[in-house]
Amino acid sequence: MLVFETPKAFKKDFKYSFCKGCDHGVAIRLIAELIDELGLKEKTILTTSIGCSVTMYDFLDLDCIEAPHGRAMAVATGVKRARPDKFVFTYQGDGDFASIGLAESLHASLRGESLSAVCINNTTYGMTGGQLGPTTLMGQVTTTSPKGRNREYYGYPIRIAEQVALCDGTAFSARVALDTIPNIRKAKAAIKKAFEVQLKGLGVGFVEILSTCPTNWNMSPEKAHERVRNEMMKVFPLGVYKDITEE
Amino acid sequence: MAHIVIDENRCKSCYLCIAACPKGLIKKSAHVNKLGEYAVEFCDPKKECIGCAMCATRCPDLAITEVHK
Ligand SMILES: Cc1ncc(C[n+]2csc(CCOP(=O)(O)OP(=O)(O)O)c2C)c(N)n1
Ligand code: SF4
Ligand SMILES: [Mg+2]
Repeated sequence: MLVFETPKAFKKDFKYSFCKGCDHGVAIRLIAELIDELGLKEKTILTTSIGCSVTMYDFLDLDCIEAPHGRAMAVATGVKRARPDKFVFTYQGDGDFASIGLAESLHASLRGESLSAVCINNTTYGMTGGQLGPTTLMGQVTTTSPKGRNREYYGYPIRIAEQVALCDGTAFSARVALDTIPNIRKAKAAIKKAFEVQLKGLGVGFVEILSTCPTNWNMSPEKAHERVRNEMMKVFPLGVYKDITEE
Repeated sequence: MAHIVIDENRCKSCYLCIAACPKGLIKKSAHVNKLGEYAVEFCDPKKECIGCAMCATRCPDLAITEVHK
């Protein structure tokens, strides 16, 4: 019996351009599996962002629109309001969602748009070479914090899932990780929930995924997952921060 | 019969699947693939695969294209 196959939402002969072991690949596969399982392929308009996430439209066989850096939730708002019959979701990096795009992300959540958003938190600007981002941990060395992040110069990292959960228009907000098989399964369940609240018209469904950037962290893929567990989860605890379907 | 199908030319040699397989049935290949990587291969002479799909769940590159149980 066939228990796993490449999701149909992928284009034929797609080629991931991600670095070796990068969690972006797993996150996009989970989304593709859900698009298959929920029968959303013909109904979806994907809004991509700027960062390593941008390449997603090259891999998935979906209608897509590309937003300027940080503006995915604003562009997705326009798409969804023009075509409320469509399923609209964004796929964004931490820099895109929570730095340059923080206003767009939080205001869409405050407005309670019928949208789903997936944010890849890899504690850095991956695509541009590993600069300090809004989620860079205290002490973390990046190309723009060569002595490590400190409070005096850079301030503190943002806890995205908690901030999104504080917005009254948010229906679901969770933080998940991809470091182990059970966590990958939980991540898929959370993304499913974030998709379903949109389908029910309840508001923003949001998932922050703690992810690896082995290249800019200068770590093997295995060691990078250890860092997610030992360092990132201490500052960014996993969990569901809001779920109005459970209240 | 439980087994997996690997598209070796998708493999970027992260080797995360090797640690994920509870039966230790995935090994580094001795030759390079089209990406210039020592890809992985499925090696199950004693037919120990249980079709759990842990390897495919772990693989970030969809190099494991099918799992049969
Ligand atoms: C308006 C604008 N400013 C800056 C850039 C340069 N830029 C491209 S990707 C990126 C950072 C992306 O980081 P993140 O959103 O965390 O995604 P990742 O690559 O880490 O997945 C930046 C600053 C740009 N493309 N457009
Ligand atoms: S730069 Fe980092 S986030 Fe981008 S593909 Fe490479 S490992 Fe992934
Ligand atoms: Mg990033």
